[in-house]
Amino acid sequence: MGAVAEKRNSTAFRDSANKALGLNPQDANISKAYLLVGFIALLLGGLMGVIQGLNRAGVLELPTWLNYYQILTAHGLLLVVVMSSFITIGYFYAGFSHTLGGLLPKVRKMAWIGFGLKIFGFVLVVIPVLMNEASVMYTFYPPMAAHPMFYFGLVFIVLGVWMLAAGAFVNVANWRKNNKGQHLPILAFFGTGVFVLLVGATAIVAVEVIFMIIPWTLGWVDGINVMVSRTLFWAFGHTAVNIWYLTAVSAWYVIIPKIIGGTRFNDYLTRVVVIALVIMNITGGFHHQIIDPGISLSIKYMHVFMSLAIGFPSLMTAYAMFRVFERTGRRKGGKGALGWLRKLPWGDVRFLAPFIAMAAFIPAGAGGIVQSTNQLNQVAHNTMWVVGHFHLTLGMTVVMTFFGISYWLVPLVFKRVLTPAMNKVGVIQTILWTIGMTIMAFSMHAVGLFGSPRRTSFTTYGDFSSTLGWDPYMAAIGVGAVMLAIAGVLQIYAVFNMMFFAPKGKTEFPIADVEPDEAPTPYFTERWGVWVVLMLIVVAMAYVPPLIDMIVNAPPGSPPFKTW
Amino acid sequence: MRTQFIYGLLLYLFLLLPPVAYLLESIMITHMHMQMPLLVISGFLMGGILLKRFPRFFEKWNNNGIPGITLFLIIIIYWTIPRTMDEALTLQSIQAWKFISLPFLAGIPLRDSWKKLSKAGKNIIIVIFTVKYFGMGALYIWAEDQLCNNYLIIEQLTLGWGFITTAICLVIYLIYVFTVDPTKYE
Repeated sequence: MGAVAEKRNSTAFRDSANKALGLNPQDANISKAYLLVGFIALLLGGLMGVIQGLNRAGVLELPTWLNYYQILTAHGLLLVVVMSSFITIGYFYAGFSHTLGGLLPKVRKMAWIGFGLKIFGFVLVVIPVLMNEASVMYTFYPPMAAHPMFYFGLVFIVLGVWMLAAGAFVNVANWRKNNKGQHLPILAFFGTGVFVLLVGATAIVAVEVIFMIIPWTLGWVDGINVMVSRTLFWAFGHTAVNIWYLTAVSAWYVIIPKIIGGTRFNDYLTRVVVIALVIMNITGGFHHQIIDPGISLSIKYMHVFMSLAIGFPSLMTAYAMFRVFERTGRRKGGKGALGWLRKLPWGDVRFLAPFIAMAAFIPAGAGGIVQSTNQLNQVAHNTMWVVGHFHLTLGMTVVMTFFGISYWLVPLVFKRVLTPAMNKVGVIQTILWTIGMTIMAFSMHAVGLFGSPRRTSFTTYGDFSSTLGWDPYMAAIGVGAVMLAIAGVLQIYAVFNMMFFAPKGKTEFPIADVEPDEAPTPYFTERWGVWVVLMLIVVAMAYVPPLIDMIVNAPPGSPPFKTW
Repeated sequence: MRTQFIYGLLLYLFLLLPPVAYLLESIMITHMHMQMPLLVISGFLMGGILLKRFPRFFEKWNNNGIPGITLFLIIIIYWTIPRTMDEALTLQSIQAWKFISLPFLAGIPLRDSWKKLSKAGKNIIIVIFTVKYFGMGALYIWAEDQLCNNYLIIEQLTLGWGFITTAICLVIYLIYVFTVDPTKYE
């Protein structure tokens, strides 16, 4: 009994210390390391992006020792795998530390081991990419085969993710033991969902890489079942993208209301959105394979439900966010139908960047629905439309939210403050990024509809008249890419300034409170064990029928190909 | 309770629609693992109002939940036999029996019984289903013959793996239930 009371007291002490100090310094070091790597990846990945954009515009010819597909691979990996995951982990570990009363010492160790594993894995991945032995692009679809070291690197990255997820779960379980019957703090709740999905998604890609690709690239087996590997890849790839999206959503629900001086939207709805996204996410991967051969029509029909189901929590989020904005604007005196909009803090980059990110998700989501439908996908698939789509979803919705987060999270963990000058840099950067991405993504969508393929290096197709009509759009893509590069450099400048040069001081962890008169959330939302089992059942329902068909009726396996 | 009844009824009517029934029955695994559970769920939802309307009846015949759950088990086990599924597609009377038995003789007793069962009782039911699902999975996967005239061997194989994966999920749930003590957290 005494030990329990003591434990509670120490938790209470840690809680209040955290509230006063913002973050335990040892925990802050973890977030510092992750954020640093994340933004360095942004710098390098962004550089690759602008080279790609200029090459596609036809104004930059790559030297013979540098291959377009090599740059594409590096761009995708650096931004989609490294930057997104490192910022997500840095953000959520800071969130766990702040809301759960500090990380446990063993969790801290696990986070550092995870960091080491991820970095080691990443070095293994980068070496063959630099040697032009792994220009397989982010999707690494068989039968294109990279050097085995590339895949061994991926294994270590996955091991790192599992270590971090285990750390997160240990810390959450410990908090729940010390705070029986209470709801997990909302940011930690989002974090739990994110790490559950990370484990689910990476487990699937681990099966693909360990049991299929590695034996195949090492020559232990003659062929690979391409359809099975693609299906496993997308069960992971689609979920990975949605994990970064869920991270952005967490900031919209939890952080933004505080920044604009309001309260959170309904806590119950928020938790239901997280649970729904966790349960239904992995099965959405099928919509990436609508025009793949070898999948029966009934399965493709089923995917429509599975993919569009994820739209429901997103629509709930859209409603919730604009309701929060309206409620806050009206409380601040906003009148009329849209007068509340003027009361929002547009000059604050911590709000402006995520707001534009949310607004961008409206066309981005609509474009996603287009791709989830059979007939429209026939037109858009494998064209620049798809590239435009994920630059709107990831490059704008997710990344701009991450940028918005960086303007309070970086000063918070580095014990500094956001200066008006950096805020101004942030606002300019946000505007530049918005214009650049709008030009680039619109041009990509448009030229995609005209048939311009994705993933191809610059070519005029022998000056074929129809394809020459794509050139103005390609030039616009180049212009957009340059603007994005400038905005990216500004962002890195702001981040490094906030890390090492901004004045020392205390920055608040902005977590909004719920409405005072809100009805209590039912406790069933906390039953993560049940949600995980439900997630697994839904995954089994979605993947058993097509995988059995692909395995039993498989064509001869494919040998490895090096197409670059 | 009324809202639940309306949702249950709407689901039941939806499942009764010939195109819906045809679509779900055209694939073996959706016939057994989607249509049949949805019928049970429709009965489960509709049942609330009946339990409220006729409390004496349920108290008398299903006092401790065991008769109800036994009836539920009998109905469900009956419908996992390959021949019964086949007959539902070839004989209209059996098809009608499916649409009556699953919601009203499985869904409603399940609702009445589940809350009356002890924690151990609930876990025993899940263990029974886990064993049964592994068994049915093995039967559908390793039977060399076509078990249903209406479905191809590949469909049979798919259903078998559907049983096995569901059983694995149930095992994970059981491990969770037996290893995690909720009183430590809740």
